[in-house]
Amino acid sequence: MFGLRIAFDHPWFLLLLLLVPVLWIFSFRSLSGLGPFRRIFALLFRTFVYTLLVFALAGVQLQKISDKVTVLYLLDQSESIPKLTREAMIQYVMKEVATHRHVGDLQSAAEDKAGVIVFGREATIEHPPFADEIRSVGQLESLFQLRTDATNIASALKLAQATFPEDTAKRIVIITDGNENLGDARTIAATMAEAGIGIDVVPIKLPSQQEIAVEKIALPPDIRRGQPIEARVVIENYTQASQANPTGEVKGRLRVIRRFRNQDELLGDKEHEVVLKPGKNVFNFEHIIDEPAAYTYRADFVPDDPAADVQLLNNSATAFTHVRGKGRVLLIEDWEFQREFEFLIASLGKQNIEVETMPSDRLFTSLAELQSFDCVVLANVPRASGGETDNKEASNFTDEQIAMLVRNTEQFGCGLVMIGGDRSFGAGGWANTELEKAMPVDFQIKNAKVKAVGALVMVMHASEIAQGNYWQKVIGAEALKVLGPSDYCGCLHWDNFTGGDSWLWKDGATGKGLAKVQDRQKIWIGKLDRMQPGDMPQFEPAMRVALNELIPNPASVKHMIMISDGDPSPPSNTILGQYKKNNIKVSTVAVGAHGPAESSLLQSIATATGGKYYRVANPKALPRIFQIEARRVARPLVKEDSKGIPLVVTDPAHEMIQNIGEGVPPVTGFVFTEVKENPLVEVLMRAKDIDPRNGTILAAWRYGAGKTVAFTSDAGRKWANNWTGWEGYDKTFSQMVRWAMRPVNEEGKFTISTDTKDGKVRVVVTALDKNDEFLNFLNMSAAGSGPDLQNIELNFRQEAPGRYVGEFTADQAGSYLLAVNTGQGNNMLLTGVTVPYSAEYREREENKALMTTLAALKPSGGQPGMLIEGEMKEGAIDRIVAAADTFRRTLQKAVSSQDFWPIFLLFAAGVFLADIFIRRVQVHFYWVAPALAGAFNRFLGRPQEEVRDERLERLRNRKAAVSNQLEERRAAARFEPTPDPAGFSEPRDIDAAIADASAGAGGEADRPRPQSQSAPATPQTEQDTYTERLLAAKKKAKRD
Amino acid sequence: MSPSAPGFATIVNMSEVALPPLSRRGWLRSAAVASAGLLAGCIAGEPGPQQGRLEKIWGVRGTSPGRLNKPRAVTIDKDDLLYIVDVTPQIQVFTGEGEFVRGWQTPDFQYGKPSGLSFDNDGNLLVADTHYYRILTYTREGKLLADRTLGGTWGPGPGQFHFVTDCVQDPAGNYYVSEYGEYDRIQKFTPDHSFLFQWGSHGQELGQFLRPQKMAIDRAGLLWVADACNHRVQVFDARGSQPKLVKSWGQHGREAGQLNYPYDIVLDDAGFAGEADGHVYLCEFGNHRVQKFTLDGRFVGLWGVNGRREGQLDQPWGITRDSRGRMFVLDSYNHRVQRFRL
Repeated sequence: MFGLRIAFDHPWFLLLLLLVPVLWIFSFRSLSGLGPFRRIFALLFRTFVYTLLVFALAGVQLQKISDKVTVLYLLDQSESIPKLTREAMIQYVMKEVATHRHVGDLQSAAEDKAGVIVFGREATIEHPPFADEIRSVGQLESLFQLRTDATNIASALKLAQATFPEDTAKRIVIITDGNENLGDARTIAATMAEAGIGIDVVPIKLPSQQEIAVEKIALPPDIRRGQPIEARVVIENYTQASQANPTGEVKGRLRVIRRFRNQDELLGDKEHEVVLKPGKNVFNFEHIIDEPAAYTYRADFVPDDPAADVQLLNNSATAFTHVRGKGRVLLIEDWEFQREFEFLIASLGKQNIEVETMPSDRLFTSLAELQSFDCVVLANVPRASGGETDNKEASNFTDEQIAMLVRNTEQFGCGLVMIGGDRSFGAGGWANTELEKAMPVDFQIKNAKVKAVGALVMVMHASEIAQGNYWQKVIGAEALKVLGPSDYCGCLHWDNFTGGDSWLWKDGATGKGLAKVQDRQKIWIGKLDRMQPGDMPQFEPAMRVALNELIPNPASVKHMIMISDGDPSPPSNTILGQYKKNNIKVSTVAVGAHGPAESSLLQSIATATGGKYYRVANPKALPRIFQIEARRVARPLVKEDSKGIPLVVTDPAHEMIQNIGEGVPPVTGFVFTEVKENPLVEVLMRAKDIDPRNGTILAAWRYGAGKTVAFTSDAGRKWANNWTGWEGYDKTFSQMVRWAMRPVNEEGKFTISTDTKDGKVRVVVTALDKNDEFLNFLNMSAAGSGPDLQNIELNFRQEAPGRYVGEFTADQAGSYLLAVNTGQGNNMLLTGVTVPYSAEYREREENKALMTTLAALKPSGGQPGMLIEGEMKEGAIDRIVAAADTFRRTLQKAVSSQDFWPIFLLFAAGVFLADIFIRRVQVHFYWVAPALAGAFNRFLGRPQEEVRDERLERLRNRKAAVSNQLEERRAAARFEPTPDPAGFSEPRDIDAAIADASAGAGGEADRPRPQSQSAPATPQTEQDTYTERLLAAKKKAKRD
Repeated sequence: MSPSAPGFATIVNMSEVALPPLSRRGWLRSAAVASAGLLAGCIAGEPGPQQGRLEKIWGVRGTSPGRLNKPRAVTIDKDDLLYIVDVTPQIQVFTGEGEFVRGWQTPDFQYGKPSGLSFDNDGNLLVADTHYYRILTYTREGKLLADRTLGGTWGPGPGQFHFVTDCVQDPAGNYYVSEYGEYDRIQKFTPDHSFLFQWGSHGQELGQFLRPQKMAIDRAGLLWVADACNHRVQVFDARGSQPKLVKSWGQHGREAGQLNYPYDIVLDDAGFAGEADGHVYLCEFGNHRVQKFTLDGRFVGLWGVNGRREGQLDQPWGITRDSRGRMFVLDSYNHRVQRFRL
C-alpha cells in the first residue's frame, strides 16, 4: 500500500510472540482485582507493549518500493563498427527514450530516468541518468576524448553500475557488436545480474565478410650497412568466395614507403599491382640500407574496388629500425625564430657531429623517433609559442612530449642539452615540468634577493562554452604552473552569490587577491577546481578591481589574461587608458565567441593595452595559450647587462671544458636558475659577482641512464656574441654535446629479435662473447615504453645456452621500445617493435555468443533481458524501437529500507505508561452527565444552577470542627481547670489533638478518647504529675 | 533593512495582522507570522522573502518541452499566458499555473540565444535575437513573420545593431530597440521600420548607457530603461523629434533601495488593484531579488534572497505581472519560475 511495506532485520525474534498466551494466563489471575473492564484493558495494553518490544527486537524496518526504472544505454563506439552505424545509435536512444519512458508531471521528477554511456577502449558518461528525454545535436560530445581503437564492454558496465541512482529498478541496454578485446564483460555482467540489474543487448551486425588486413611488415633483426635486406609484407585476405567473386581474390595496389631524415622513399620505386588470394599473402621487397639513420617502414594496400574492403583502418602496417653510425644530434629550435642556431650547427659539423634540426611546431610524436639520436639539444625553445590571430595556431610541447624527452634520457641513455636564451628555462615557461626535474638546475628562483618577479591576473568568463568550467580550470592550472614561488597571481571571476566580481583566493595576511604564489600552487589549483564562475555582465568592475591591486604591486612585469565569449559589456576607455599608462598588458582570448562582433570587443581591449588577442575555435588550444601568456610574467628571470658579465670556470679539468683555452669571454646575458641541492650536480661555469646559486652558466649531471647539461646563456646570437670569434667556441660546444651523448659500447656480441603474437611481444637475446662462446647466467633485464609512454619492465630467463627470453603484453597499436641491460658492463641494447593495429581492426564478425550470454543473464528478482534485433541505421530505427520496450517493468523493484525499531520502542514506552495508568487509577464517568447538562444549559442560555460542591462543604465542616476543638483545648490548658465531663484531664500535645480530631468524620467528639481506652493498668491519680511519672519510670528501670 | 524602514508594512500582508480587535487565535497567528518572519530575517541576515507571499513554484530543469534551462526573458500576453525564452533556446508558452501550452525555437542559435521578449500593439511577440543583431516577430502561436524582422546586420549605422537586448512599441506604433556592446544606444523606428533617431552611447554619464537591458513605456508615453551595468533607471521622453532625459535614479549597492544589475523592469504607473500611486518593479541579477519603488525612485519594499529553496532566487533575469497583479520571477539559475503576490 502506498509503495510501503514492513520488513524485519532479525525475523527469528518474532517467535517470542508465541509467549503471548502465557502472558495472558498469568496476567488474567494477577489482575483479577481490577474488575472486568479494567482487567481487559490492562491485558490489551500489556499485550501491545510486549508485541511492540518483540517487533523492535526483530529490527522492524519500513521499506519503500519504487516503480521507477532507470535505463542506461551503453553505446559501443569502437572502430570495428562502421561509422554510420555508430552515429545511428544515439538516434535510436533518443527515439527509444521519447517513446517508452514513463513520464511524470512537471511538478515532480518522479519518473523514469535515462542516461547514455559511450565506450571504446574506456567508457565515459555522455548523459548522466536524468528524468528527461535525451537530446543530442549532431555528434556525441564525449567522443572527442574517447579512444575508440578497442572495445571494453566491461569498463562500460562498471561505469554504468556506479552511475545508477539508488531508488529505481536498473537496466542496461548495450548496443554493440560484442567484439570485446579488453576486459571481461561476462564476469562483470554476472555480478550485476546478482545485484538485480537487467541487461538488454541490441546486437550490431557487421555488414560483410569482405575484408583485407595488412598484418605486418617484417624486417630482419640484424641490419648491416651496405648489405641487401628484405622487408616482408604480410597481407591477410579474409574474403570468402561468393557468387560475385567465386575465387575470393582481391586486386589492389601495394605501396611500401621507407622514411628517414624526413624524406619518403618508395621501395621498388613504384606502387605494385597485386592480386591477393584468400588467406595469407607475403610480398618481399629487397633493398639496401646505406646510411646510418632511423628508418620507418610503412606498407599500404589500396583495393581497386573500395567495396571489397570494409575496414580501411587495418590496411597499413609500420615497422621501425635504426642503423647506428657516428653520433647524431637532434636540435629542437623555436619555429618562430628559425635558423637562430646556424652558427652552432656549422660548428658542430666541423667537429664531425651530425645535427638534424626540428622546429618546435613539427615536434617528434613518439619515443621511437628519438631513438636515432644520441643527444637532443633544446636550443632556446619555449614550452609554447605562437597562437596570435593572424599567425598560425599556438603550438607547445605536450606533457607527453616532455615525458618522452625525459624518458629518452633517463631510460634510454640519450643526452639532453638545454641551451639558453630569453625563451628558455624559467623564461621559456619550463618551470614545474618533468624537464625541470631532469635538469641539474631548477628553473624557479627561491632566492629572494633576485628580484625576478611577475604578476599575473586571470579574468574568467567562459562559462557559456561547452564544458566551459572544465576548460577554465585547466587553463588556470596551466598558467599557475608556469609561475615561480616569488611571482604574484590572482584570479577574478563572477561570484554568483555576492553578485559581483571577486578574487578566487586571497592572501591571509594582506587580504589581497593578487597574492604571492609561494608554495600555494596546489591549494590554488584546488580552488580553481571548485570554482563556479558565473555570467559576468561587464568587464569594467573586474578590471578596476584588478587594477587597484596591480598598480601597487612590486612585480616588475604585470600582465592580465582575460578569457571570455565576448558578450559582457566592454570596459571604458578611461580604464583601458589606465592599464596602458601603468604598462599592464591585457591579452584576451575569445572562446566560443558569439560572432564577429564579440571578437572585435576582445580584440580592441588587447589592442588598446598592447596585449595579444587570440581567437580559439578548439578549446584544446587554450592550455597552450595560457602557457604562452603566463610566460610573459616569467621574463624577469632573464639577466642582461650590455657591459658584459664576466664568467668563472669552476672546474677546468672537466671533460666538457678541458683544453678550451684561457680566458672565457664574458656574456651579455643569461637566465637565472637555481642549482639543485644534489652532490651529483657539477657546476662548471658561473657568472662572476652573482649569487653562485643562481648564476650558473654551465652545469651537468647524470640522470638515470643518461646525462643532462644546462647552458644558460645562448650560443652566440645575442648574449654570447664574444664567443663566436673565440677559439674555444667549437671545442666547448662539441665537448659539451659529446659528453652528453649516449655511450656506444661494442663489447660482446648480442643479437636481439622480437616477435609479436596474440597481443604479446617476445624478446629473444642471444649472447656470445668475443670468442663466440655462449654467455650464460647473465642477469638480464629490460625497461621500456609503450605507445602511451606506459612503463614496460621485463626480466629475461635463460632458456638455452646463451639464449634469454622475455615477454610483455602489447595490446595497443604503436611502437614499443626496449632498452635491454645485458648484465655485462654498461652494455645496453636498444630494440623496438611495432604493433601495426589494434585487435579492434581485425574484427570482421560480430560476437553473437557473448551478446546472447549477456542478454540471457537473469537478474535476481527479475526476468532475463532481451536481444533486440534490428538494423541500426537511420531510417530503420523505428523498427528497433517497436521491437522492444527497454523501460518494461520486468525487473526487481527498487526497495529502500529505513530502520523503524526506535519508533516502536518509543511507542512501547508510551503504551506501558497507559498500562500502569489503567491499573493504578480508577477512572469513573460520574462527571459526564452533569457536564453534559451544564453544556446543554449553557447552550440554551439558562442560568447556571449553583452546584454545591459536597467535598468542599465537607472540608469546611471539618475545619470548623477542628477549630472548635482546638479552641476548647486551649481554653482548658490555660486556666480554671474545669472538670472534663468525659473525665479527660491529661494535657496533650496540640498536634496530636488535631490528628485525633481529623482521624474521624462527623461527631467524633462523642466518641471515647483513645487515651481513655488504652489507659495504663496502674492506677493513676489526677495528681500524678509528669515529673512524678518520670521518676516512677526511672525507679522501675533501676529495679529491672 | 530594519522592519521600521518605510514601506515595510505596505508589503507585509496587512489583512492578517491589523484586524482589530484581535481574538486570541488571531493574536497567536500574527505572533507566529511575526516570529517566523523575524527568524527568517535573522537567518538570512537580510530582508527575506517574507515580504511578498509566495504562491507557486514551477519548472524542472531540462531540454524537453515544458522544461526550462536558464530562462532568460519573460513576457505575458493579454490572456495571461507567459512566454519564456531559455538557453536551449525554446520560446515556451505557459499558463500562470505552470502548464505547458506550446513552444518553438528561433531559426538560428549557434552564436547565441535571444534575451528579450515583449508584445507589440498587434499582440505579436517581439524577440530580441541578441547575437544575430535583430528583432524577430512571431504570432502568439509561434509563426515567424519574416517580413517584419528588424535589423540583422552588425554595425554602428542606423538600423544596424550590436547585441540587441529589447524592443518595445509605443502606442503610436513606433519601435524602440536597445542594444549594448560597442555602442550602448537606443534606436527609434517608425511602425514601418524606418529609422527616426538614436541616442545614448557607452558610458556612465546621464543619457549614456552600460547595457540597457530592458525597456518599458508608461501611460504617458515615457520610455523607462533599466540601465543594468550603471545600476540605475533612466526615463526619457522620446515622443518628439529629440529624446529628453526626464529623470534618472538608482545607486549601486546591496542595501535595500540600492541596485545591482537591474535586468528587468515592470511598470505599474496606473496604480494596481486599488493602490493609489504607481510603482515600478526592478529585478536584480546581482542581488537576487525584486524591488519595488515609487515612480520617483523611493524604495518601497523587496522580495527575495539568494538561494535554492522556495522563495529564494538565483540570478533572476526577468519579471512580469499578470492581470491579477501576480508577479512572476524567472529564477534563472534555479531553472524555474516563482509566482508571488505582493
